[in-house]
Amino acid sequence: MRNFAVIAALLMGLAAPVQAQQVDPIGSPLWDYMRKLFIGDAEYQFDDSIKVVVPEFAEDPTQVPVTIDASAYAGQIERIVSWADLNPIQHIFTYHPHPEVIPRVSMRIKVQQGTAVRAAVLTKDGIWHVGGSYVDAAGGGCTTPSTGNANPYWESHLGEMKSRLFPQEQGGRYKLKIIHPMDTGLVNAIPEFYIEQVVVRSAAGDDLAKMELSQPVSENPVITFDVRHADRKHSVWMRDNSGNEFEKQL
Amino acid sequence: MLKQLMGYTATFLLASTVTAAPMDYNLSPKKVAEDTWVFEGTVEDFSIKNGGNIVNTAFIVTDDSVVLIDTGPSLRYGKQVREAISKITPKPISHVLNTHHHPDHFFGNQAFSDTAILARADTGKLIAQNGNAFSDNMYRMVGDWMRSTEVVLPNQPLEGDSLTVGGHKFRLMNFSGHSGADLVIFDESTGVLFASDMIFYQRALTTPHSPGLQIWIDELKKISQMNYKIMVPGHGPVISDNRAIDQMVGYLTWLDKTLQRSAEAGLSMNEVQNIPLPTEFADIALIQREYHRSVVHLYPSYEESAF
Repeated sequence: MRNFAVIAALLMGLAAPVQAQQVDPIGSPLWDYMRKLFIGDAEYQFDDSIKVVVPEFAEDPTQVPVTIDASAYAGQIERIVSWADLNPIQHIFTYHPHPEVIPRVSMRIKVQQGTAVRAAVLTKDGIWHVGGSYVDAAGGGCTTPSTGNANPYWESHLGEMKSRLFPQEQGGRYKLKIIHPMDTGLVNAIPEFYIEQVVVRSAAGDDLAKMELSQPVSENPVITFDVRHADRKHSVWMRDNSGNEFEKQL
Repeated sequence: MLKQLMGYTATFLLASTVTAAPMDYNLSPKKVAEDTWVFEGTVEDFSIKNGGNIVNTAFIVTDDSVVLIDTGPSLRYGKQVREAISKITPKPISHVLNTHHHPDHFFGNQAFSDTAILARADTGKLIAQNGNAFSDNMYRMVGDWMRSTEVVLPNQPLEGDSLTVGGHKFRLMNFSGHSGADLVIFDESTGVLFASDMIFYQRALTTPHSPGLQIWIDELKKISQMNYKIMVPGHGPVISDNRAIDQMVGYLTWLDKTLQRSAEAGLSMNEVQNIPLPTEFADIALIQREYHRSVVHLYPSYEESAF
């Protein structure tokens, strides 16, 4: 009997640090593993003011719209890391927003099954603020060949960019699109081929928005982000994992 | 001992209820005009509960034989249609028509593989291209109702602009607004228009393969000029006037304008999905869900033209 009490006490002792952790509001089975992978043992808190907007259901698992809005911490952000817990390649992007941009970004991603989509925002005080939403999906988005695989259009148009500035009440919004297959490497005999880096620069040469992308970003990416001063000149530069560089005046 | 025995009995009873509940679509054909019956599905999405019976199929008993328009979502549905028809008439089914390539309209083909299954050549091609992917999705959404269902392609091309069977002259009209290849059938002898999925009524329209909303709107206006007495939509109740067309044109026009304006304002796809729907569409079943889906299907091309 006494042995049981000792074991129970030991178990409780062991369990204590686990209990001290916060409960994932989405209840994802991989939360803790993903947390360790992306933010390690750093201090964090779940934070509703970090908005992760996804549809309830992924109509097309190769094109799931995601908006991440960390404007509640504008000006205080070191970086934003976004991932999908149950994707075979979890990391979606890491974003380093300059204080001159509004830290809000939209794009489309691939999901392999219903999953939590996260945005962990590291503020300058060293604390991670974690937002997230669940998107349900029939699945298969990461292991479906890109449409480019069946259609050679991209071969002669690789890296072609379109962009437009949309004036907003405050500042402006850039939407840009680039032709790129964004192959995940998870489809038989199609090697990974995707854009790894995106940098939006001001005319003065500052990196306003710096992003590292991963394979789950959808084919022919459409990326939307907001700047504080729409009247200034900007340019965008991208590089894919084969070393191709693409540049455009916005 | 007695308790144990009762336990067994209870288990047995439970088990027998489960096995005794057949997957029955409870199809009861509704006579909508002379010689003409409709199997009306629910205005729902595919589910394990409804087994995919969300679609309207119809048959016409001509002087010689039966013409069936669409075969429903599964082999089981097709078999049950066949049985239900045999209770109405001893005449054989001579023509099975597939109006378009969507899974709720052709997966019952397998129950009629001994019959002429006719479709436009484009529809046959689209079924061949997409059939297996549709099948995977249907098994996922409605489960065991699909058991043993396989893709059975139309076995004869449907050519020309009319078909006469046993005294009924059917006018065959090609449209494209809903799926890219949509057959609409008008029975000149009864005035019944089998509009299939060119028409949805009281159930939100779907756009996964629409070539463009304006194309659909223009085609609906053409259909509204026709002199039909009864309209059988692909989804939703049978009607006798242009109410369905008015409802659809209202929604399609709003959808087209909303997507256009949103693209011009630089909205992201999430922002467009979260635009509230006008209250005038609130009574249409599944409108919110279908609006979300349509934004995914259609917004990229509106965005493209706004660059």
